[in-house]
Amino acid sequence: MSEIATSPVVRLDHVARVYHTGSVSVPAIRDISLEIRPRVFCVIVGPSGSGKTTLLNMIGCIDVPDSGRVEVRGEDVLRLTDNALADFRARTIGYVFQSFNLIPVLSAYENVEYPLLLLNVPADDRRRRTMAMLEAVGLADQAKQRPNELSGGQKQRVAIARALVKEPALVLADEPTANLDSTTGTAITDLMRQMQESFHTSFIFSTHDPRLMAQADQTFSIRDGMLV
Amino acid sequence: MLFRLAIRNISRNRRRSIMTASLVAMGSLALLLFGAFTTYIFAGIETGLVQRGGHLTVYRQGYFLFGPGNPAAYGIDDHEALIRSFRDDPVLKDMINVITPTQALVGIAGNFSSGTSASKTFFGIGLVGAAREQMRQWNDYGSGQPYVPDDRLSDPNASRGVIGRGVARMLGLCAALKVPDCPAPEPKQQVISTAPPLDPALADLAREDLGSQPAANSGPQIQLLSATADGAPNIVSLDVAGVDTQPVKELDDNYVAMPLTLAQQLVYGRGEHKVTGIVLQLHHTAQVPAARARLLQLIAERHLPLEVRDYRELNPFFVQVVGLFSLIFLFLALIMVVIVLFAVVNTMTMNVLERTAEIGTVRAMGVRRASVRRLFLAEGAVLGALGATLGVVAAFILIAVINHSGLRWTPPGNTDAIPFQLAWPTRPILLLGTWLGLVLVATLATLPPANRAAKSRIVDALRHV
Repeated sequence: MSEIATSPVVRLDHVARVYHTGSVSVPAIRDISLEIRPRVFCVIVGPSGSGKTTLLNMIGCIDVPDSGRVEVRGEDVLRLTDNALADFRARTIGYVFQSFNLIPVLSAYENVEYPLLLLNVPADDRRRRTMAMLEAVGLADQAKQRPNELSGGQKQRVAIARALVKEPALVLADEPTANLDSTTGTAITDLMRQMQESFHTSFIFSTHDPRLMAQADQTFSIRDGMLV
Repeated sequence: MLFRLAIRNISRNRRRSIMTASLVAMGSLALLLFGAFTTYIFAGIETGLVQRGGHLTVYRQGYFLFGPGNPAAYGIDDHEALIRSFRDDPVLKDMINVITPTQALVGIAGNFSSGTSASKTFFGIGLVGAAREQMRQWNDYGSGQPYVPDDRLSDPNASRGVIGRGVARMLGLCAALKVPDCPAPEPKQQVISTAPPLDPALADLAREDLGSQPAANSGPQIQLLSATADGAPNIVSLDVAGVDTQPVKELDDNYVAMPLTLAQQLVYGRGEHKVTGIVLQLHHTAQVPAARARLLQLIAERHLPLEVRDYRELNPFFVQVVGLFSLIFLFLALIMVVIVLFAVVNTMTMNVLERTAEIGTVRAMGVRRASVRRLFLAEGAVLGALGATLGVVAAFILIAVINHSGLRWTPPGNTDAIPFQLAWPTRPILLLGTWLGLVLVATLATLPPANRAAKSRIVDALRHV
């Protein structure tokens, strides 16, 4: 097995983040160090305001810590320029948002195809992979629908397909079942687990959902910005 | 993908986008209509000037500055040979439509017929009738009045000419010439003089000249007095064939046009008959620089004491009109730019605000800041292009409607009302300039909101509701 296949997909070393609101400074993350194994279903749990989302943002390279070191797939992401970091995210990381965050003017097919356009994937390959992914999430027959024509569960399936279509090393999901009813939430949880296994990728969630926690291979609990 | 996305994004809030595009369209429409109007004005005035005075005139050196006060002193020697050489020149011959001599003169015109004794100063021009008729047919822009043949200055009758309406009024000839709306002087003012009093001997000479005319002459006749090139007084009779109203009152009150031979007889008497100008009318105005350069080259090669003036130099009024309308156009363009700028900035700022979370999403997915900026700039460009194109279409429709509406007006430099016909705004600088200018303004107006969108922090954008 190669070194990249066994080394942690994410490594945080003494990471800290403080938010400043006027004259008030609020520490969101305090000196967190952790490693996430490759190809795992990883869950970050904790009460509201504990710093789950901030931690996920650091791992997802969309926020930078005030101190510490963040490595994703062995890359010290804090040393990358803004453009290099954008390209890194485009290649390596998929996102599933709590509010789905689909682009409303694009159809389900186009939303899933979008990440491949960013990677300049040839048109034929793009078409094949997009359709395969829509089939995998059970939405091949809804390909032409715009997000406002889909249910919440369908939107989240499109979001999962969009996150996975580029076959990223890492998929981050910030409370992906929070806006779904329990039946749909369970279906989405099962789908994500199934996709994680099929694509051999790492899923990292922030969640309160016990169904997701039950599926976890690796769990981190956070409280007041610190791992507990 | 960029423009497909841009088009879909601007169709999200249709009402807002339509309002913004409509403002751009209004800008485009206003600029094109005004541009079409000015093009029509310029073409109309230029056509009138070129029909009357040609594109270029060759004068004796110094005539332009000093000659009009004493035209006889600025005669061009051997003008016929000179005209032949210009007409046969391999460079000029393909450009020349008409080349003809003219003789300017000043003097006193008098009407001593039927007991009338009226006189006034005049500014005269001697012309070749056939050449004048050919020049009147020049209509390079298709904007001139329909050509109506006028034989009042025909070459066979060397003593027949036309006078300005003001000259006819002051010499008491309106009734004889059947000029409408031209008041006759009061009976007690029958003796009129706006010129210095005539020497009694010259008046007698005029009466003698009047008495020597053939009895068959049925029209009114005036006597023209001028000093010859030698300084001696000379007098000729002119059969007034009609009135040729001039656009400027000062000119109309002094204008007398006569056959070239009569003008030469008056100015040069029995001496060598010279001319004060050689007029060249070209096929196209665009040929003026080339023709002028060639004339100057020929003049320099032969060491001739001549100068060349174009119709713009001879008619500063035209240059002033062009300058005035160009300034108004620029002012209008500036207003339109400001309106479009504010409308697009407002619309795009709203778009950026409404799509902040979406901007965060695509940035998280790996879209670079520059790509976000490009997307919003493309939306501004599409809005601008849509509005500008609508404006172009509307302008062409409106011009067609106006041109078929039968409106008439009297443009500056004209004496009679003519059909109001807007020129089609097909000049590239007007059509493409307006279209591209507005698209550019709309695109640039998007830059501040686009920059704001590109610079937003991803986590802040994602939190935006």
